[in-house]
Amino acid sequence: MTASMSQCLLQMVRTDYTMSDYQSEIAPRWCAGCGDNAILAAMQRLCRDEQLPPEKTVCVSGIGCASRLPHYMNAYGFHGIHGRALPVAEGIKIRRPDLQVFVTTGDGDCCSIGAAHWIHAVRYNMNMTLLLHDNEVYGLTKKQASPTSPKGLKSNTTPFGATLNALNPLTVTLGITNVSFVAQAVDWIPDLLYDIVSKAYHHKGFSFIRILQRCPNFMEHRFDDYVRDPSSTRILTHGNGLRLKPELSRVYKNQQTHDPLDLAEALTLARLEDEIPVGILYNDPSVPCYDELRAGERPSTPALVETVLNEEFDKVGIWPATAAASGSGA
Amino acid sequence: MSQAQVVSDILPQETDVPSAAPASEPLRSALFARYQHLESLRYDYPLVLIEGQEAADTLIRPLTRIVDDVLKAAAPPDASGEAIRQQVLGLEDKIRRRVALGTEGRLSELWQTCAAELVRESGEDRFGPVDANLDKARHSLRVDGRVIGCDETTPVKLLTHAWRVKHDAKARRFRKTVESLILRLNDILKSDHMKSDEAHGPTALASSMASNDDGTIDFQALSEVLHRVRPEDRLPDDRLRRIKSALEVLQRQSFFGPGRASQSSPDRAAPYSYVFDSCSEALDAHRDRLPDVLEFTKALTVAELEVQNKYRPELHDPIFEHFDESELTADQLALLPSALICLRDGVTEIAEIARAYEALASGLPITIVIQTDDILGTTAAGPAPNSFGAGTARLAAMAMGLNNAFVFQATSADLYRMREALLRGNRYEGPALISIYSGATTTVPGVPAYILAAAATESRAFPSFSYDPAAGPDWAARFDLSHNPQPEVDWPEHRIEFEDREGQRQFETLRFTFADFAICDTRYVRFTHPRARSDWGGGMVPVPEWLALPDDSGMVQDPYVLGVDDEHRLMRVVVDAKITEASRRCNDAWRRLQELAGINNSHALRQLAQARREREEAARAAEPVAPAAAPQREETSAPAAASNGAGKTAPDASDGDAPWIETPRCTTCNECVQINKKMFAYNDNRQAYIADPDAGTYRQLVEAAESCQVSIIHPGKPRDPDEPNLTELLERAAPFN
Repeated sequence: MTASMSQCLLQMVRTDYTMSDYQSEIAPRWCAGCGDNAILAAMQRLCRDEQLPPEKTVCVSGIGCASRLPHYMNAYGFHGIHGRALPVAEGIKIRRPDLQVFVTTGDGDCCSIGAAHWIHAVRYNMNMTLLLHDNEVYGLTKKQASPTSPKGLKSNTTPFGATLNALNPLTVTLGITNVSFVAQAVDWIPDLLYDIVSKAYHHKGFSFIRILQRCPNFMEHRFDDYVRDPSSTRILTHGNGLRLKPELSRVYKNQQTHDPLDLAEALTLARLEDEIPVGILYNDPSVPCYDELRAGERPSTPALVETVLNEEFDKVGIWPATAAASGSGA
Repeated sequence: MSQAQVVSDILPQETDVPSAAPASEPLRSALFARYQHLESLRYDYPLVLIEGQEAADTLIRPLTRIVDDVLKAAAPPDASGEAIRQQVLGLEDKIRRRVALGTEGRLSELWQTCAAELVRESGEDRFGPVDANLDKARHSLRVDGRVIGCDETTPVKLLTHAWRVKHDAKARRFRKTVESLILRLNDILKSDHMKSDEAHGPTALASSMASNDDGTIDFQALSEVLHRVRPEDRLPDDRLRRIKSALEVLQRQSFFGPGRASQSSPDRAAPYSYVFDSCSEALDAHRDRLPDVLEFTKALTVAELEVQNKYRPELHDPIFEHFDESELTADQLALLPSALICLRDGVTEIAEIARAYEALASGLPITIVIQTDDILGTTAAGPAPNSFGAGTARLAAMAMGLNNAFVFQATSADLYRMREALLRGNRYEGPALISIYSGATTTVPGVPAYILAAAATESRAFPSFSYDPAAGPDWAARFDLSHNPQPEVDWPEHRIEFEDREGQRQFETLRFTFADFAICDTRYVRFTHPRARSDWGGGMVPVPEWLALPDDSGMVQDPYVLGVDDEHRLMRVVVDAKITEASRRCNDAWRRLQELAGINNSHALRQLAQARREREEAARAAEPVAPAAAPQREETSAPAAASNGAGKTAPDASDGDAPWIETPRCTTCNECVQINKKMFAYNDNRQAYIADPDAGTYRQLVEAAESCQVSIIHPGKPRDPDEPNLTELLERAAPFN
């Protein structure tokens, strides 16, 4: 490989990216107090710490408050259509495997209209990171119940309270074939949020992070009890998963060692009702990635595409034998 | 020695018939007296040169192993599988006999021909039970490739196959790398073209629509609209030129064939050939192709920088202007094909073999195969024409001195056992020397090449070893001698059976030495003196013991080895000084190899003896002192800062009244910075801290504390005692302090 020389020459023009290099010219238009800000900060911190070139980073989103994130990132972005962030992201990844793909989506975008894509994206296990901003409500459209809204939530579409129990995105994801990385984070513990996003980024495959996120306008006080009482948050640690910093460890004493390869325990934890499990629930690095399975031996250069097309045309040509003998393939 | 599972029933016999001395015909060593006809034995040969996907990991596999796999899959282990087992083993036997007669071909072809023959011989019709069984077995055949026997052509065939496998793997990697770059460069050019006048012209727009132009769309108008919004950031000319020129070089390369895309450019030159018969040819070719290599490497590096948009003309232009041979690194050359040079001792000019060292020392990625058919050499003192003679067994050992070359030495009989080392050699990116003794020595009649090759390893005349510079930093990691029989001793020990004069089965222990190997050679016959049982006397000692005798006592003892003649009579063969001296040299060379492998290493032994002496002296000098108690490890780390609520650590303990924020817990929610941008600011991680407590009012501090979603702002005490409504504010601030 010429990597060494190219690496040397690349070192000559190494740019030290700072957080502000990832901030676009548009200031975030999320409400003050919104948890989305913390997720954006974690994303930008990750990009800086990994020194991801902005031109090699893509944020793809659907529709919703969360889906505004690509606007605020100085990177390539695709603000897609409702629920369809994942197909767009998959297209980008298969055509340009050299790009880092992040998908930001909300509970309505992902778990309602985009549910089918969500299931198949987990099964495809393509190398990308999905951040599910779960504030349990449609916020952009001023409070309608979403699939993850708690039962009894009074909203514009459920004035007498939401009828059904909330969908649990964690158990759903853990149940899908080929699942390879599932984690849960909360926006109000920024260090842990960053650590989890970083673990997800380093995982090869589809990383699914559900981030519980406060909406100060439409779900006011929803998570107040958890924010105030650290013991209601159960931190999952493991040698192969999260390692808690001492200062956090002193505050969040409710900890459990959880092997990220233990799917049964992950499902039990995902079903916890009184406590919020935070950490990596499941991580199996051995699951094959669709983008690698389908990557051809050789990339589709114009020359190869032309050859293959000509071969196909020759099959139905009038004198295929002559064409093959002449070697022109025309 | 041999993997034989079936041996001849004829045992060497003791006899009283005296024989003339010296011998007129060479004898065979008693050890391999029983392995005369290999065709009926299931041993390592014929070998199948594995093709296809498995080739990279398997390289070669004996026919017997492949047949075993087939039987495991196709024949039930119980009695019901017996018929198919017998038939397939019969087929294997047929293939082996054909290959021994010189038939060549791929396994699938040989299988088919021999199966048809077996069906004919069985007297059955096609689709009868035999045909059906063999057909069923054929479906379990998972691999295919050329089948080779063990003869003088084996080393070149096998090593060329190994090189081909490496070359194909390289070609795949090369095409993937280069074509990804071509694709990315094309992408850049295409995206630039999309901004051009041409791409926005009405014609281009019309042709980009699938349907016929029925007038629904006014492309002229569309083109004008697009012209107004067209982005102006076109690629600079120099970058465009650079990309196009790199692209052209990458597409034109002649190192590897273009693979499947060949049809689209039928006029391109044929790729370079990398298989040579001499080192001069290879080195000349390298020199001739150097400009192309440089141009390609330059284009590749430029392309890698361009696709990352990291080419900076002011920095990189000077580097590429002066890019010459000295800039080429081993990493860069590793992407290009490696050369294969096949030399043959006795055939290739001797100067060429000497040049091999020049080629190896150059560090270029070349594999040199030196095949030797004769390792004893003439009995005359001077060197033979075009041959290193006895020196060929040392060629590989000499190459280890180069340090950067992968070195492999083995006989044909050991190639399968040494396949892991061959695979390592295939993965090695630098120069490699492969030295093989074929066993096809013309002066040893009646001994199959495989047996003679095995005997060469057994007698330490041609030991098997590998030296892999990539395996680690020291000899222990790099050098492997373990494939020799009983590598820890001077001569490997075997128990042989023979029949005594009463017809009883007897056993004797035999240490196989260089002398046992040498007595088979017609050129050495005159230095051997066979003695039948009746002539055996007390003054005779086996060669290994004779070599260990003190110099002066050797004169009165006769060194002998055990041999058998054509009629299977067991003899003691007394050997002359010519052979014992050669044995001594051979043993000396073997011991040096052993030392390199850490066996009886003289430095280590000396150190060990020294250490032992010192320990004994120390033990004698004084009573052993009770070991001092290990110093108690003290807990020195100060207890971590006392927990202060939710991870709070006041920034300045002396000033408890100052306002402060638990920055690590900040969720970047913008509440506080929207209240006062000067008072609250974000740090490098976009988390808030108090930039200037005097930049705002105490009221703002209290309001920020109240609105903070995670309650991490602590307003402290008011700094301005005259601020209005302080009493109320202090009350509101109390829960946050």
